[in-house]
Amino acid sequence: MKALRIDHVGIVVKDLEQATATYARHFDLQVDPARGGELPALGIKNAFMPIGESALEFIQPLTDQGPVAQFAKERGEGQYLLSIEVDDVAAAVEHLRGLGYRVGEPNNGIAFVSPKSSHGVNLQLIQRSAR
Amino acid sequence: MDGIGATHIDHIVISSSDAAVVADTFRRNLGIEIKRTMTRPGTGAQLAFAKLQEIILEFAGPPAPKPGDEVKARLWGIVLAVRDIRAAVERLRSLGYDVGDPKPAVQPGALIATIKSGTHGVPFALIQYGTPPATPGAAT
Repeated sequence: MKALRIDHVGIVVKDLEQATATYARHFDLQVDPARGGELPALGIKNAFMPIGESALEFIQPLTDQGPVAQFAKERGEGQYLLSIEVDDVAAAVEHLRGLGYRVGEPNNGIAFVSPKSSHGVNLQLIQRSAR
Repeated sequence: MDGIGATHIDHIVISSSDAAVVADTFRRNLGIEIKRTMTRPGTGAQLAFAKLQEIILEFAGPPAPKPGDEVKARLWGIVLAVRDIRAAVERLRSLGYDVGDPKPAVQPGALIATIKSGTHGVPFALIQYGTPPATPGAAT
């Protein structure tokens, strides 16, 4: 497995619009209109603010179920997830499963690694280029 | 200056109960090469650094991890690179942020300042490498 780049850092917030407005006004970041929105299947809405080669992803839980809601309940706002770009997400998942990691099935080039496998750090693997 | 002039995420801090173990997990299992390890002067904190393109992953832990304990880690803070840290600090203070004075970072020649509030639960800091660009029109 080859980690290529930090694609983005996920930050859980209570109010997505308020958070992105803060980072726009005070930190000069702009929301990428091509990414983000409501993701009912995950119970969240999100927005990406690019910076350099990476981005900050702001995530607001929309329900009280699921890992994002659980994080918000336990910790409030804060850094939630590290998204690592890999060249081949399917191969990366196979590699990590072979090491005993709990990794979700890749979907649209994205796979989530259970934090129980990485000392508590939420990791996401993402493949940008089609294979 | 309207904004803080942030150019990119300089580093992301992963805080843990044992920096060496967590860094080694990322190295062995995720293929992330650890470029440098060090002890932070003054505090004795154990640090390990990896770099993925422009972003440094900093693994931080206590001076003396307790052997046998389950190693726990969490994403902690984000450091943004800015062109002119003094101007950025001044700008944020004018907006009501509590920001520390720039001080020497562990990176040679760099200055770092911590933003202590107002960032939606994420500890942020600013870092400047080298000298800021000259102000246009300023006497040389």
